[in-house]
Amino acid sequence: MSDELLSVLTPYLAERLEADGEVVVDQLDRIAVGWSHETWLFDASWMAKGEPRSQGFCLRRDPGNALLRQMSDLGEQFKVLRCLEATDVPAPEVYFYEEDPAVLGAPALLMEKVAGVCPSPWGKAGREFYAAAAARGVLPLSFTESLAAIHNADWRAVGLDFLGVPELGDAFARREIAKWRLLIEQSGHPGHPILADLIGWLEANAPSTDRLTLVHGAFRTGNVLIADDRVSAVLDWELQVIGDPMYDVAYMLTELNREGTDLLSNVVPRDVFFDRYESATGITIDEDRCRYYQLLYAMRSAAFWMSAAGLFADGANRDLRLARTEWSVSVALERAAKELGY
Amino acid sequence: MSLEPAELLRRLSASLRADIGPAVADEYARTQAFMASVILERVSRQLELGPAHARAEDAEMVALVDALGPVLAGAPPAVSSALLDVGNHHTVASLGPLLEQLYAWGSAEPRVIEALGLIRPTLRKDIDRKMAVAE
Repeated sequence: MSDELLSVLTPYLAERLEADGEVVVDQLDRIAVGWSHETWLFDASWMAKGEPRSQGFCLRRDPGNALLRQMSDLGEQFKVLRCLEATDVPAPEVYFYEEDPAVLGAPALLMEKVAGVCPSPWGKAGREFYAAAAARGVLPLSFTESLAAIHNADWRAVGLDFLGVPELGDAFARREIAKWRLLIEQSGHPGHPILADLIGWLEANAPSTDRLTLVHGAFRTGNVLIADDRVSAVLDWELQVIGDPMYDVAYMLTELNREGTDLLSNVVPRDVFFDRYESATGITIDEDRCRYYQLLYAMRSAAFWMSAAGLFADGANRDLRLARTEWSVSVALERAAKELGY
Repeated sequence: MSLEPAELLRRLSASLRADIGPAVADEYARTQAFMASVILERVSRQLELGPAHARAEDAEMVALVDALGPVLAGAPPAVSSALLDVGNHHTVASLGPLLEQLYAWGSAEPRVIEALGLIRPTLRKDIDRKMAVAE
């Protein structure tokens, strides 16, 4: 596949970079055979106006059959990342968005290759990496401050209101419920009555918020790049919304995002997170609202897995990891039942 | 000698995990082999446990319908209709529409709270059965 990509990428870069002649692409490597967009890293060198230039790039392509394909649009990611350039949020600089699939084989986004590593928190090596970083003490602060930067971003001033702005009150929670309900309906999955119970409960107990911020939607280790014990870039801008900041805080607090440790998201001591987050944002953490959002995450997880299983069931994607998610639906629903008290 | 389908699938799963997967050089294809192993193992378990699970579900649903009848007597027509469907099907799946109607009636309504208190233990048993396959 890399030869095929290379054949369209080099002429595209030559034109977009206004190169004097050919662009040489090195180290083209697909870094994740993931369920979402394809991600490729490479280095490019070229001549421009008689001067030698070189730079690392990250290319994301949308094959059209990925998980969350209905709600994860590279064009939107491009706009979000462009808006973030005017904020303190560590994020990759974006260069080009190519919507026409005929040009690069699929809609594609080209951005900066940011230095750093992104160990998976679900493996032993990753957990050891985060535990060691937690003990050194720098990463927990940087991680928390990165979330604070997202919540402190002046989203209206930088143009992120194009994401849609819910009214104050319970509109944000209701909008999220509706979004995940739609994904469940689109999945074609038969569902389970626990889901009906969960959705009924969520609708009956939707909390009110009086402050709206940019919300990342999946802020955890594994979705940030780390260099020298600091967050060098927040990644995975696929689920961001304007909404209740407690939605992200709940994701920090949830046991789902840590394994065998009390450290939030495998890396931040709880008291450090509360202290640093509240002082950096001026927002008091509302644990009742966080508990509500943890139930909303149970719904979201079920919706993810139903959607993933549906992608395999309808023949859109042959990846057997998607077929396996049929049983992950039960795991998400079991968790929901537990959260609902049974 | 012939093998029961559940046992055949279990052996296929073991072969994929122990013999075939490790011999595959390509990372993506190797992952697919291991995923196929996991899936076959679960389908095998599902086949093995299916009859006992179906019997348990039926017995629980009969008991639940009997218990819900008096609690939901005189409930709004949409609730009564959904309860009738549950009685006709005796499946856990048929509880979904009933739950939707109960919440539409009102989550603070005492009889809804009482009905939820009866339905949830049945849902718990059902998800426990599903987890016996999923884990």
